[in-house]
Amino acid sequence: MRKLYKTPHNTLLTLAAGLLFLSGVASAHHGSGISYDTGHLWSTWATITEFNYRNPHPSMTFDRTLKDGKVEHWQSELLTNPSALVRAGWTKSRSLEALKPGTKVKLYIGTSRAGGLDGIVMKIESATGENIVGERGTVTAVDMDGVPLGLQPAAKEVLPGAPGNDK
Amino acid sequence: MAKKNALMRVTGAIVTVLIALTAVPMEMRAQQRGGRGAGAAPDPGDTDTRPYDKHDFSGLWARNPQAYGLGPCTECRDQALAPGYGFFGTVPPRTAEGEKRLLANKPGRGYELNSKEAKDHPDVDSGYKRAVLPAFGNDPEGRCEPLGLMRNIAFSGGGATMEMVQAKANDKIIQRFEWTWDNREIWLDGRQLPKVEDYLPRFNGYSVGKWEGDTLVVTTNGFDDRQWLDQYGFPVSEKAVLEERWDRPSPNRLRVKMTLTDPVNYTRPWPASVKVWALIPTSKMSVGGWGGILEDRCVPSDEHLFNTFRDKAAGK
Repeated sequence: MRKLYKTPHNTLLTLAAGLLFLSGVASAHHGSGISYDTGHLWSTWATITEFNYRNPHPSMTFDRTLKDGKVEHWQSELLTNPSALVRAGWTKSRSLEALKPGTKVKLYIGTSRAGGLDGIVMKIESATGENIVGERGTVTAVDMDGVPLGLQPAAKEVLPGAPGNDK
Repeated sequence: MAKKNALMRVTGAIVTVLIALTAVPMEMRAQQRGGRGAGAAPDPGDTDTRPYDKHDFSGLWARNPQAYGLGPCTECRDQALAPGYGFFGTVPPRTAEGEKRLLANKPGRGYELNSKEAKDHPDVDSGYKRAVLPAFGNDPEGRCEPLGLMRNIAFSGGGATMEMVQAKANDKIIQRFEWTWDNREIWLDGRQLPKVEDYLPRFNGYSVGKWEGDTLVVTTNGFDDRQWLDQYGFPVSEKAVLEERWDRPSPNRLRVKMTLTDPVNYTRPWPASVKVWALIPTSKMSVGGWGGILEDRCVPSDEHLFNTFRDKAAGK
């Protein structure tokens, strides 16, 4: 995993605590955690364009408006899953309503290790700061709102299992 | 002085008795309290108000009772050899065929292939240290194929839950698994296991059970060899036989000790780590007032959509 990020120490500590809490969940379904850099989370405001409340993890597309007015189109999966959401009170209808297209939210994201406009969403906040469509709110991250590409891998890495790196 | 010594002796004796009482395992106390049909007061952590019947496993079970507003279950925590849920236990050496089959399976769980974490665990079997990005793996779960019995059991109870349904005629037990909405049957009617060659292999196999005291001993054969033993990709052959020893050591605990014998893949039997579940009242395991396990299916069209996101994230 890459490590070349400038992150305040207190943020890292909070993040570590949050991730320790989440680690059991990350491995619970489909091994999603390994595809993303969940060790370097960042946050951004975004506008939902699509949300799918489906197994094994909900997926979501969203737009980010940059400081220069340009718009980035991202896609993501959520760390959580529908069974955990429904037990936390986030039923399908409630979740779809909370994340209907056009809704502005603050997202806490780990970018895919391959880089690009793909990530895993660890936490979602509403415009009023409420933790939504999730069961916990301990995650914090580096604010990258309006910054092009958010937080990207510092260097291109050969991912485990990729052709040539599977032994 | 003599009076003081006598007082100290009495105090010492009381302390010794208290320590001895505390040292008596909960399990033993539970056994003393009640056998079949006994209706003694439950442990403080108990959630079941039915009479304690060691031969009745029916109910909803999970390994994270705190998620349902109950006290934590320390013994429910697995002796994991790697991150996640697995068969674990004492991993036997593999046969040449077993190693070949293992290497053909590419899991997305465990310690990452060639990672520092993998190198930091030299004593852990290599099977747990080869996780790749799921987009580059071939986990049958990623295609919504059936998980198979051992994987169903190992996974149930982390986030997913499990239900045991005991037929009133007491001729079978149905075990239901929340994740993938799967089930298996354990026949108690005295039938013999089928000859594997005469039947179609099944992902959950064919199971017969009999009581040995308060332990239900279940034997299963006839496995479909496309399944993985657990999420780490250990192979299972059609010649494999699983022995499960289930018991209910206290009113709100269910426990299983499993041993897999698979001469095609492993050079000796593989005893799993002990798995323990906590009983969850139906009222606490409910959504919108509807108690029970969820229909948490792996739907191929959902999985296909998810995999398009998964693959793009891996740069595929």
